[in-house]
Amino acid sequence: MEPAYELFDHTADMGIRVRAATLPELLAPAGEGLYSVIGNVVAGEEAGPAGFDLTGRESAELLRDYLAELLILLERNHRVVTAVDPSIYTEHRLAVTVQTGRLDGKRSSLLREVKAITYHELDIRLIPGGYEATLIVDI
Amino acid sequence: MPEPYTGPLERIDETRWRIPKSYKEGMRVDGIIYADDILIEAVKQDKSPDQVANVAHLPGIVKYSLAMPDIHWGYGFCIGGVAATDPKQGGVISPGGVGYDINCGVRLLSTNIRLEDAQPRMERLVETLFKTVPCGVGRGGIIKFGKKELQRLMTDGSPYVVNKGYGWDGDIEATEAGGCINDARPDFLSNRALERGFDQCGTLGSGNHFIEVQLIEHIDNPQAAKAMGLTEGNISVMIHSGSRGLGYQVCDDAIKELRNIPRKYGIDLPDKQLVCAPVESPEGQRYLGAMGAAANYAWANRQILTHLARQAFAEVFGQPAERLGMSLIYDVAHNIAKMEPYDVGGKQTELCVHRKGATRAFPPGHPELPDRYKSIGQPVLVPGDMGRSSYVLVGRPGAMEHTFGSCCHGAGRRLSRGAAIRAAKGRSIRRELLDRGVIAKARGRTGLDEEQPDAYKDVLQVVDVLHAADISHRVARLRPVGVIKG
Repeated sequence: MEPAYELFDHTADMGIRVRAATLPELLAPAGEGLYSVIGNVVAGEEAGPAGFDLTGRESAELLRDYLAELLILLERNHRVVTAVDPSIYTEHRLAVTVQTGRLDGKRSSLLREVKAITYHELDIRLIPGGYEATLIVDI
Repeated sequence: MPEPYTGPLERIDETRWRIPKSYKEGMRVDGIIYADDILIEAVKQDKSPDQVANVAHLPGIVKYSLAMPDIHWGYGFCIGGVAATDPKQGGVISPGGVGYDINCGVRLLSTNIRLEDAQPRMERLVETLFKTVPCGVGRGGIIKFGKKELQRLMTDGSPYVVNKGYGWDGDIEATEAGGCINDARPDFLSNRALERGFDQCGTLGSGNHFIEVQLIEHIDNPQAAKAMGLTEGNISVMIHSGSRGLGYQVCDDAIKELRNIPRKYGIDLPDKQLVCAPVESPEGQRYLGAMGAAANYAWANRQILTHLARQAFAEVFGQPAERLGMSLIYDVAHNIAKMEPYDVGGKQTELCVHRKGATRAFPPGHPELPDRYKSIGQPVLVPGDMGRSSYVLVGRPGAMEHTFGSCCHGAGRRLSRGAAIRAAKGRSIRRELLDRGVIAKARGRTGLDEEQPDAYKDVLQVVDVLHAADISHRVARLRPVGVIKG
């Protein structure tokens, strides 16, 4: 299964549905989905790696927490993830290193302000050939 | 597409529908939804009535779990949700009953400018507002606050920025709670919340936040309109914004921190977005303190936006804002939890009232109202959409009796963002608004498409339900003539 994401409607906000063969492979398309909610997010010059070591009660919460980190990285540090290298993604722990680039202000257009990645209908489930995650972001 | 609601809805009267507490095991009280025959059909199209029923499970909930007629699907609580809990009966505080944008709210400024005098300068006015007020994703504020100043701002709310010169003395009196929640605890905020908020005070944001120049098109209640300084044919300014990234993060942190707290106190919840803690517990007090700080930040934010709007008007009309009569009519919060006294079984009881997409609507004579509104009731500001109308209402005694002093906060969305964009394909929403006499400017390409008038219910239908229920009465109808959005 090729990792992929799609956006779906939610009354006032937006949902991201992500599919991949393995849990770690969910991370990259989930991040791309978040960026596509925000608008056209383009990375410019390299800005170095960033690491997150997250613990939680379940894998879906860890994915939510990971996207929350990406949101802050973009909003506060103007950095965009360009590559994802997860070392651990289990039910209770996610350790991941990401490569980042500076947000290219000229080529990017940020259309929507994401307030938060919510817990609403948050889910990762097994599907034939892999996993499907559902996240809803508050706009 | 969301699944429709299939549970019970029993008609109580012309404006109310009951979800009996027998619907779900664990419901402590009934759910009550305010809607007419037409609105209730829209309400059934998603699971928001189930969210009303879920809120009825909260420990210490008093009388009923309520939803206003602008109800739609939210997180934990529905948008338009109102619930009061009694701390002495184990009542809880739930961040999901406040929402991510803590103290998102609306304020309205009067002017003495006639529409015909404003019209020739409207394009320049909209441009000047757009240039003067930071708006859109990632835009920082013009007015910077140091770390200590920010702490003071979150402790003291809008009076702090008024004292710094970003407002007039009368602004404080015309703000709900005087623009300050006492017992706010900025020290309870995470570094991340402070980081997200440090440069955003005095910014509009994006999404459904706006500044609108509105014509006072029709007066329904001349006595109340006079007390508020609303004159038919004049223009007014409506500002809609909240606590920006700081408030979003306070909510996000709280939901995470409270995840295990219901179990600690033996609370069984049907939805984990309803995480909560007893009001009197250390965890509950911690959230209330942090929420208070974010609420104060939001009031300071709207106060600075007011200052910037006055600057823009002064520049365009070549007169000081005082000469243009730009007084603050009122400022209301519509995402907040507050301790307020109510009559419960004949006894005055301090309750924790959650308003999530609902506005306070105190009646005439309420002790919290400024003198000039004592005889008419609290002004309630209900924005509609940027093509049709917004309304000014006043609170009525029925609000104290039936809705914990609360009423609706807006029109309520009808279309999702995706559906609105699809509906805008091949059209120019900007041009359509212009044809309706509205000059609109937005930073984002999709902003106007997503927020187009058709994306919202007709606000008149919403306010009429509460007018008929004697919760709030119409005072004036306002029509947008100039809009800026992020």
